[in-house]
Amino acid sequence: MELTVFCIVALMILVVACTLAQVQLGVHLAVEKYIRSFFVWWNPGQGAVSIPIFPGGGAVGGLLLANLGMAQFRRLELSWRKAGLWIVHFGLALLFIGEFATAFFQVESHLTIEEGQTVDFTEDFRRMELAVIDVSDPSSEEVRSIPDSMLRSRAEIAHASLPFVLRVRGFIDNAELSMRSAGSPPSGATAGVGVDVVARQVAPASGEDRDVPAALIEPVAADARSYGVFLVSPALGAPQGFTHAGRSWRLALRPRRYPLPFTLTLKDFRHDVYPGTDIPKNFSSQVRLRDPRSGDDRDVLIYMNSPLRHDGLTFYQSSFGKNDTLSVLQVVRNPSWTLPYISCILVTIGLLWHFVLMLRRTLGAAA
Amino acid sequence: MNSRFLPGAVFAGALILAAWPALSPAPKTGFDVEAFGRLPILEGGRVKPLDTFARNSLLMIRSKQSVRVQGRSLPATRWLLDVALKPEASDEYRSFVIDDPEVLGVLGLDQRQGRYFSYAQLLAKRNEVGGQAQASQTVAATARTRFQRAVIDLDQRLSLYERIQNAFTPAGRGDPAAELAAFQAKLSEAMEVVQGGQRPKNAAALMGEIDAGLRRYATLAEASAFKILPPRSGEGEAAWAGLAESVVRPGAAAEPHPGAMLVARMASSYRSGDAAAFGAALAEQNAWLSANAPALARGARVEAVFNRAQPFFSGIVLYVLALLLIFASWAARRPDVASCARACAWAAFTVHTAGLLARTALQGRPPVTNLYSSAVFVGWGSALLGLIAERVHRRGFAAAGASTVGFATLLIAHHLSSSGDTMEMMRAVLDSNFWLATHVITVTVGYSGTYLAGLLAIVWIARRQVLRAPDPADDKALSSLTYGVIAFGLFFSFLGTVLGGIWADQSWGRFWGWDPKENGALLIVLWNALILHMRWAGFVRDRGIMLMAVFGNVITSASWFGVNMLGIGLHSYGFMDSAFWWLLAFSVSQLLIIILGALPPRFWDERDKRA
Repeated sequence: MELTVFCIVALMILVVACTLAQVQLGVHLAVEKYIRSFFVWWNPGQGAVSIPIFPGGGAVGGLLLANLGMAQFRRLELSWRKAGLWIVHFGLALLFIGEFATAFFQVESHLTIEEGQTVDFTEDFRRMELAVIDVSDPSSEEVRSIPDSMLRSRAEIAHASLPFVLRVRGFIDNAELSMRSAGSPPSGATAGVGVDVVARQVAPASGEDRDVPAALIEPVAADARSYGVFLVSPALGAPQGFTHAGRSWRLALRPRRYPLPFTLTLKDFRHDVYPGTDIPKNFSSQVRLRDPRSGDDRDVLIYMNSPLRHDGLTFYQSSFGKNDTLSVLQVVRNPSWTLPYISCILVTIGLLWHFVLMLRRTLGAAA
Repeated sequence: MNSRFLPGAVFAGALILAAWPALSPAPKTGFDVEAFGRLPILEGGRVKPLDTFARNSLLMIRSKQSVRVQGRSLPATRWLLDVALKPEASDEYRSFVIDDPEVLGVLGLDQRQGRYFSYAQLLAKRNEVGGQAQASQTVAATARTRFQRAVIDLDQRLSLYERIQNAFTPAGRGDPAAELAAFQAKLSEAMEVVQGGQRPKNAAALMGEIDAGLRRYATLAEASAFKILPPRSGEGEAAWAGLAESVVRPGAAAEPHPGAMLVARMASSYRSGDAAAFGAALAEQNAWLSANAPALARGARVEAVFNRAQPFFSGIVLYVLALLLIFASWAARRPDVASCARACAWAAFTVHTAGLLARTALQGRPPVTNLYSSAVFVGWGSALLGLIAERVHRRGFAAAGASTVGFATLLIAHHLSSSGDTMEMMRAVLDSNFWLATHVITVTVGYSGTYLAGLLAIVWIARRQVLRAPDPADDKALSSLTYGVIAFGLFFSFLGTVLGGIWADQSWGRFWGWDPKENGALLIVLWNALILHMRWAGFVRDRGIMLMAVFGNVITSASWFGVNMLGIGLHSYGFMDSAFWWLLAFSVSQLLIIILGALPPRFWDERDKRA
């Protein structure tokens, strides 16, 4: 019981800290620091040493869960009088397990689609990939994807499927790109569009902004012949590449793509406003879902509070652009999404049970 | 006197008192401004009576629902008509409230001249204010200084005032009816020319005049505040138009809106002071409305009555009255006064309920849609809970708690209403009556429960430490009440929080995102759970629970208002930043009460002995 009280207090402190930290750090980082961690680290000064000063959300949650299980069997007798509390605690345990599962298994990405366009992949803006694309055959592009973590950690990337090696000549976590002026130092890039562009390291993005990385990549053939240094970044739109052994290759640093085993075609995007104002009333995307495996070929309307659930993925209306012809859907894969629903029902029933019993006792005593 | 008769009389009397403003007829001399205020308009995406728009505009500009001009109080609709049609007089009205000393500095005014200023006083620095506001807009909303926020606010209020000036005619000047008649005459002359096929000598001059007129009306259409001409039969909602807008609509030349000339006539006759002509045009417009748009006209009339009745204001008065009666009954130890107090509290609650139901019906939405209505509803829930508890333990504490929360929340709501239309349209993601009715209601009921528990605890502390009325039976009743209400609050705040999670899962793609508002709700749940666990574990007894329940007030307020002041998060529809100091003061007062409660009872005895 002491432990329960300690855990609840610790959790409250964490929640308050996390909320206040969001002003500075943004939701994502604040949650990483306080909730999805086992300890809250404090870095005194600029030193490399960090001291754990407080248990993080993971530790407190785990402790609470373990304590819940222990207390359940040691203290609460199994009787009708306590049945409500049993159900409540079981439901709470499910809720915690669900949150843990979400932390580990949930994958969020986005699907950007223009009217008339058909898309069969989603993009993860929080993770990047270096896409090395063989574009020799215009009908079928072959893509090799190299995660950004590899660009950070390695100086040279070689892979059996690539007929050349890629040297990483530089990587910037958050870059600000600008056109090179006449007198300024060279950009480091010797080929492609990056020659006229300077990438400068800036402070990590705060709040809801995301880092825009940049990298200097030099493809080198087996005979040590270099194709030049390319500057790649998601902020650079123009395609750039080189020809190796008669095949054309393109290089791009872009949000990581996850392929979908089915396709979505945007037929119509609507942005309704209240008459005479620009207050949004509704956003909706009418899409055609085609899935050869399940034989689906049907229209779906995705709108606020009404997502599409298909193949373990959920598609939500998230944003829009290009004069209301472009729709952005948030795509979430969360295998444990049903747990909170079950837990909510259980806890509600349990609490009702318990409080009704209590009320009857109180009223009985008063009468 | 019969002991059953008196409370009944108090109840009935209080209700009549509350209904009085709606029943009493307005004086019918001169211009029938009241009837003009009942005309339906479209503004902010919603059909409402002109009276609502006038009141809300005046609240935004002046923080009051009326203006004092030469010693008499001008109602909102009258003020609106004066601003729109008698700028020569109304520009001198002290319509603007300005409290920020730095903004006053920019304007070259100072606080010795009072808080209220006229449009004429601000006119010289109008462009300066606009420029400062534009510069401030480039700063991120969370990083703005007090001056920047105030200057943006003033600029917005000035442009609202100017859009009202342009409601019927540019800057409220000229003769709208004569101008419209002349323009329509020109139009029909041109139509004849086109149909007759002949080409008179002055064709070019005629087209030039029509073109200039169209351009003038198009400019005015952009700059006016509301749309007063409803769609004709067969037209959709998008056909709502202002006076000028209806003139430039395609097809207006062949088939002008019948209301356009009537509105222009009302405007001209108001401007020239011809009350009879005003009344005649208004009667024609009402006849047209009841033939062509009866539902709109009826809705606007009902809302105008609701505005005039001001049920929440009557509620405040009656709650205070009930509270005074309860104190009197405690002081005099007279059960008949206590019965009257209860009757008065029930009357206040009835008025509160009537207002809540009327709002819900007018809006066609569940009762909580924004911060304002959440305040009304939290108070309603607490009051209901308290009055039910009072029926169980008829000792007056619960009724006192109910009246205090009812009074306080209605007062808060009153202050929140100055930010605009309290029945504003719902933004896209919130446009779900199902979730508004489940998640939002349960969460606010959870707030109600937590506040009531906190209030009961304050009563307990006050009785024990200040009044020192040691009555074990009373104390026991109070603590079992508080305990029950905390359990109730836990149940609803948990259910509401999880339902919110499920709504978030439906609309944003995640059950729980650690958003500030979500965290706030979670804190309430955790705190209530903590109180109950502490008690079950035996760490705290009656007094501990009471002290913790008082702190629940602080947590609930922080979660309700405080997280909105951080200015971040997805729940950005309820933002506010002005009330920070009030929140802080409230929190400090609650902490002081906790300290008071934590003092040993003997502390007071000894002080008395020394005295």
